[in-house]
Amino acid sequence: MSATATAVRPRRRAPRASDGSPMLLGHGRLPRVLAGSALVVLAAVWLLPFVWAVATSFQSEQDVAKPGLFPFKGALTLESYERILSRGNVPTWAFNSFLIAGLVTLITVALSTLAAYGFARGTFRGRRTLLAVTVAAIMVPPQLLVVPLFKQMLLFHLVDTYAAVILPQVVAPMMVFILKRFFEGLPRELEDAARIDGASELRVFLSVVLPLSRPIVASVAIFVFIGAWNNFMWPFIVTNDPDLMTLPVGLATVRDSFGILYAQSMASALLASLPLIVMFLLFQRRIVKSVATTGFGGT
Amino acid sequence: MTTTAPTAPTGGAAPTGTPPSTTPRGRGPFRKKDTAGGSSGLLFVLPFLVFFGLFLIWPVAHGLWMSLTDSSLALRDTAFVGFANYAEAFGDPDVWRSLGNTVFFTLITCVPLVLLALAMALLVHSGLAGQWAWRLAFFAPYLLPVTVVTLIWAWLYQPELGFGNQLLAALGMEPVGWLSDESVAMWSIAALTVWWTIGFNFLLYLAALQSLPEALDEAAVLDGAGAWRRLWSITLPQLRHTTVLVAMLQVLASLKVFDQIYILTKGGPNGTTRPILEYVYDVGFTGYRLGYASAVSYVFFALVIVISIAQLRFFRTED
Amino acid sequence: MSSSPPAPRPRPAFTPPPPPTASVSRRGLLRYGMAGAGAALLASGPLTGCASPAASAEPSALSVWDPFQGGDGMLMDDMIKAVSTGRDAFTVDRTILEWGPSYYTKLAMSAAGGRASDVAVLHLSRLAGYAPGGLLDPFDLDLLAEFGCTEADFTPAVWKRTQHQGTVYAIPLDVHPFIVFYDRDAADKAGLLDSSGELAPMGSPEALLDAGKALAKANGGAGILFGHVNDPAQTWRLFAALYAQTGSAFTLPEGGTARIDIDAANRVVTFMQQLFDGKTNPNNLDYYGSVATFIGGRGGMAMLGEWELPTLRKSGIPLGAAPFPQVFDRPAVYTDSHSFVLPHQADPDPARRREAHRYIARMLSQSLTWASAGHIPAYQPVLSRPEYGKLRPQSSYADAGEVAVLDPPNWFAGAASNFQNRMCQPLQAALLGNIPAEKAVRQMVREANTLLQQPNPVA
Repeated sequence: MSATATAVRPRRRAPRASDGSPMLLGHGRLPRVLAGSALVVLAAVWLLPFVWAVATSFQSEQDVAKPGLFPFKGALTLESYERILSRGNVPTWAFNSFLIAGLVTLITVALSTLAAYGFARGTFRGRRTLLAVTVAAIMVPPQLLVVPLFKQMLLFHLVDTYAAVILPQVVAPMMVFILKRFFEGLPRELEDAARIDGASELRVFLSVVLPLSRPIVASVAIFVFIGAWNNFMWPFIVTNDPDLMTLPVGLATVRDSFGILYAQSMASALLASLPLIVMFLLFQRRIVKSVATTGFGGT
Repeated sequence: MTTTAPTAPTGGAAPTGTPPSTTPRGRGPFRKKDTAGGSSGLLFVLPFLVFFGLFLIWPVAHGLWMSLTDSSLALRDTAFVGFANYAEAFGDPDVWRSLGNTVFFTLITCVPLVLLALAMALLVHSGLAGQWAWRLAFFAPYLLPVTVVTLIWAWLYQPELGFGNQLLAALGMEPVGWLSDESVAMWSIAALTVWWTIGFNFLLYLAALQSLPEALDEAAVLDGAGAWRRLWSITLPQLRHTTVLVAMLQVLASLKVFDQIYILTKGGPNGTTRPILEYVYDVGFTGYRLGYASAVSYVFFALVIVISIAQLRFFRTED
Repeated sequence: MSSSPPAPRPRPAFTPPPPPTASVSRRGLLRYGMAGAGAALLASGPLTGCASPAASAEPSALSVWDPFQGGDGMLMDDMIKAVSTGRDAFTVDRTILEWGPSYYTKLAMSAAGGRASDVAVLHLSRLAGYAPGGLLDPFDLDLLAEFGCTEADFTPAVWKRTQHQGTVYAIPLDVHPFIVFYDRDAADKAGLLDSSGELAPMGSPEALLDAGKALAKANGGAGILFGHVNDPAQTWRLFAALYAQTGSAFTLPEGGTARIDIDAANRVVTFMQQLFDGKTNPNNLDYYGSVATFIGGRGGMAMLGEWELPTLRKSGIPLGAAPFPQVFDRPAVYTDSHSFVLPHQADPDPARRREAHRYIARMLSQSLTWASAGHIPAYQPVLSRPEYGKLRPQSSYADAGEVAVLDPPNWFAGAASNFQNRMCQPLQAALLGNIPAEKAVRQMVREANTLLQQPNPVA
């Protein structure tokens, strides 16, 4: 496994990313048509739930309740969106989601880059052992810790606080591992030059190492943000107060007095998915790269 | 994942003219010469270690301890019960049943999540126009929070008006209890899961495809090999390593299923979709028995470790 | 799993939505706006264990939890609106959580965490799983009396279930029995009505069997409807009602084994099988199926919770209702009761606690509104008001509360509990004809003993 192939020279393949390989299909007509139709069918299947949800969200509840396969059954209306936004829960949860995912990302990136650099360049006693424990911890599925973590939060009197949602999410051994491998691949000469100029170790890290690592740090940050934004189990367990819930938890837990209304539930689903979809459209290449680099543990 | 051997500290002259630092411990390049106290770099690692200790090591250890007690959600004292929880777990038919459900879910999701992702990546990589649009179509669901996914699919699966049964009705077929029929529900959840999470594997494959060297393929074209032939004898063999990693990540991810099942069916109908993690939730939080839930967690943890090791071995011998 | 509870089912999709009502919740953009919350958060430091940043913004808002959606949900809205206006108005922050085991899980977890809501709704049958574990705080009866609510305002049968070791932990809002609804025309044609036009007493198993046949003949469809397939409570409700009528006791003693009269239980399950024979009375309906069939006029009688009244009434069939008919030795009706509780708070503010007491007393006085959904008000002063007597068909089963039978008190029993679900599995198999009555009873005893063997986590 070459630790840094993708990370250090992320741009190597960049031009290819958008044009695919014309070689793969050759120049025959038939394979092209077959591949094209397969792609169209698959994409249609994948987009269908969205289309159905969008169509439903712009209908009145009465029209939604009419049977039929065609998704637009009546006049278009923004009624559902107005109702949801006026109720106030969804904006509260969206705010909580941004706050929590943002803080989790910030703290995780800060802790992980520092630790990774310390592991990569440090020589302190016990480094190997601590590193081995950190790497072994990658194996521990966080979902298995919910019971003791909840008990721990009871002990700390933190149940139903932002702190309880955020703190257990900021420990990311995998990210430390990925960043450490990246830092190890950086040339030392630049760091040494800064040291010769009298920079403190923290200064070296902040003004030499971090700028060089912008792409990988961004990848890690995106990955952590998506994970925190979409995290369900832990926030669901540790928050009972609706005012502290994130979007996924609030939407799954809190109801309104008149049962299930499908147009409204589709409207709230779409509103809740908007932030990340917009983010994806804006930073598509960055996000794709983030998944590709972090998904494999930086290999 | 293997640990990379620690980089040997480079020797060399200590920088000259270093100004006196206000923080002696954190100062100085990480070189042997300056590590008299053995703490060089430790300050960088320390903040992480504090959180690591508090929110990973502590719960792992505390969970192990709890599994030996009758710890309860109710506010009362806790007593040590030895291995009673483990003995109960091994004899608890619901543990076995939910483990079975978990394994079944893993089987029926991993196969499409690997093979279909590969097919999608190959198709998108084949050079047809509009790459970003295909990529968006397949990857977008991955960006949705679980509740959004379940809201949308609960509506598709709605018995009277949902798309599923409307489609069947249009085809003149009987409606299906997508989430209420015991023999159908898990498949419905699997379909939703494939739709939701395939984008991740798809992107991994796409990235792998895009970094394959083109020389082999070009040579084969010159030799007159057809597209199909080149796919089987050049492209796929080169993706072997990627497939191993995708499959391993996927098995571990599928084993940990909880969210979408909890929200959609709460494990029903009649327990047929309840995965082991929901059983942990049910006995621990709904049933208050945190100690017993910890024991079940650890039984599952042991299973996860065994499966991971078995996978590593299997794929290593394959290689 | 479909929950078919003494509580809100999701509003069926085919019903048009209600007109927009003023939101009861005071939680709004202003209070929880990003600026405010952000500022509060920054001020207190992002990692301090501060609770909701908005908690301090409006200290007087009383947070209340309930699982009521649909008809009940909107009535609860109306009641809260009524106490939120005028002099001494409350500011109420209402949270509705999904009905089912998940509601009770969240309630317990919030109480364990010590930052629970000020008031919550709890089924009385669940009290044994909450009060002993310290998950509820006791009521101050003097304080309640100050606001006009005393023990004398409730029936003894219900009041005695509000306590744990002599301390009151719950104040009942209603009694909601499992009853029978019937088609008046069909019942009249079948000769089942008495001189006053109410359902005449049955008195024996045979009489109910005959009534089923007569109703089937009268309306040309099914006789008695009962939906139970895959339902986590219905067969248990029916069994518990009939079993209590035999005069035998079913108890779940702590640390022991289930005490049940096997002969009586066999007799009851055999009778259930005879009643739902799959010919006169269908034996394979699910909950919604039974409601739909009854609404469609294809059944003469339906055994349901009174909470289905609003749905049934909309159908336009001439609707009659009666307490669950006595067929064995003594009258008994399976019921439960929505009650108000004070979830445990680690550090309760006495002023808020006082407000919570006052709120509950005020809500009880609104229970005539609640009764319009079919529930019997637990608060007797409302029950004796002439307006209640005029409610039809509610007043026909108002006495059901006096012969109320709830689940045996135990930490694992009660509404939406695993216990009810487990009791339903063998009973369903018996009704579907898959196993004989004796086997079903044996399995019920076994299931109950399995639960009893679990260490009690609340004691």
